Amino acid sequence: MKEIQVFTGFSHVLLEVAIALIPLAIIFLFLQIWLLKFPKQRVLNIIKGLILTFIGLSFFLQGVYVGFLPVGEVIGRTLGGLYYNWVLIPIGFILGFVAAFAEPAVRVLNYEVEKASGGFIPQQLMLYTISLGVAISVALSMGRILFGFPLWFIVIPGYLIAFAMAHYSTPSFVAIAFDSGGVATGPMTVTFILTMALGVASVIEGRNPLTEGFGMIALVALSPILSVLLVGLLYNKKGKENERNLTDM
Amino acid sequence: MKNIKNTIFEVVFAVLPVTIFIIILQILLRLPIQVVTQFLVGVVLVTIGLIFFLLGVHLGLLQVGEATGAALPKMGKVWVVVLFAFLIGFVVTLAEPDLRVLATQVDMVSAGAISKNLLISTVSLGVAIFVGLAMLRVILGVPLKYILFASYGLVFILALFTPTEFLAVSLDAGGVTTGPMAVPFIIALGVGVASVLGGRSASADGFGFVALGSVGPILAVLLLGVIYG
Repeated sequence: MKEIQVFTGFSHVLLEVAIALIPLAIIFLFLQIWLLKFPKQRVLNIIKGLILTFIGLSFFLQGVYVGFLPVGEVIGRTLGGLYYNWVLIPIGFILGFVAAFAEPAVRVLNYEVEKASGGFIPQQLMLYTISLGVAISVALSMGRILFGFPLWFIVIPGYLIAFAMAHYSTPSFVAIAFDSGGVATGPMTVTFILTMALGVASVIEGRNPLTEGFGMIALVALSPILSVLLVGLLYNKKGKENERNLTDM
Repeated sequence: MKNIKNTIFEVVFAVLPVTIFIIILQILLRLPIQVVTQFLVGVVLVTIGLIFFLLGVHLGLLQVGEATGAALPKMGKVWVVVLFAFLIGFVVTLAEPDLRVLATQVDMVSAGAISKNLLISTVSLGVAIFVGLAMLRVILGVPLKYILFASYGLVFILALFTPTEFLAVSLDAGGVTTGPMAVPFIIALGVGVASVLGGRSASADGFGFVALGSVGPILAVLLLGVIYG
């Protein structure tokens, strides 16, 4: 990495994005002709939207390709090569917490949960629960790379607990919880934190980045599910206790 | 205008904290200044890109999603509705930013053994099938819980037969499909359908689309592994 690269290979990215968006444009055309029949002004807006999406996706991918992927790998390799590479676990914890805490989608989810619980579950409580969950997930993923235990050791108990809790939850909480898997994987998680993890896995002996490096996103996706179900159940119990107290009186 | 300001704020706020932490980390590790600068170039491009992308999605695609969701059930024929849900799930996932990044990483790490385009198409197909299924579920009124139990059961069974290289990748693929493109679009579609079908609670039926949309790719990649292995 000698010279600073900004638009190296941008033409390839533009081509990639064009190929990615063309099917979407074709489907819209079909829908417009057969089903939607939007007036001209709205069609123009949607075309503008598609152009903005095209520009945005191109810049985003360019930034990831020239910036995040190479630098993430360098940082990962450097950290993994340290004598005291256990620092990866606290670093992962902080990165996970910060990324989830700053993610707008998490805030949207918290608002939804507050609404679904009739205001019983404050947004702040959800925010800290989810951020802590993601922090633990990223720290665990780093630990997995250092010690090399299988992903199943975490994923199977995680989902079993989720399903056990889902069994006792209300249907709307189950839907919100399982839909929330993606909210915590913000713009920095897949692009940067995961690349760092792959870099670490590539320098630690006996680790295959394909089996130990990946898996972080799965764990990050699991934590909001568990957080929403857990907080939902606690709230439900509290709600029922209140009812009982009322009938007892 | 307010929308633009909000989007800029949202993206900057989501990117900044991690960026600051990474810069501190780079300084502590004494990485050369070129590396830090290259990282900042990435941050600037990604931030600009995300702002444009989100504005574009809100300006155009969300309206298409919601209007389609509301118009589809009126077509009457169940198979047409499910087919369109399938097609929309497919094309939306093709354009999902995080999936492209993940597929690039898998391509790199596997030295091309699991190629980028193969992974993207497999994952998109998985999302498409399950968005179609999610639509069928809402129409038939099957509780989400049963389909989720069954799908994850299938995930664990398939996992026994797939090479270990595909396990972690498949589960990660499930996470990246729920990104800034698919989620708003698919939720808009679901809410549209649920509001037209009426009588059902919009939240319990309208949602669940995303949940099923993220099981689909897991199963698809596991199957790919079974075929490869």
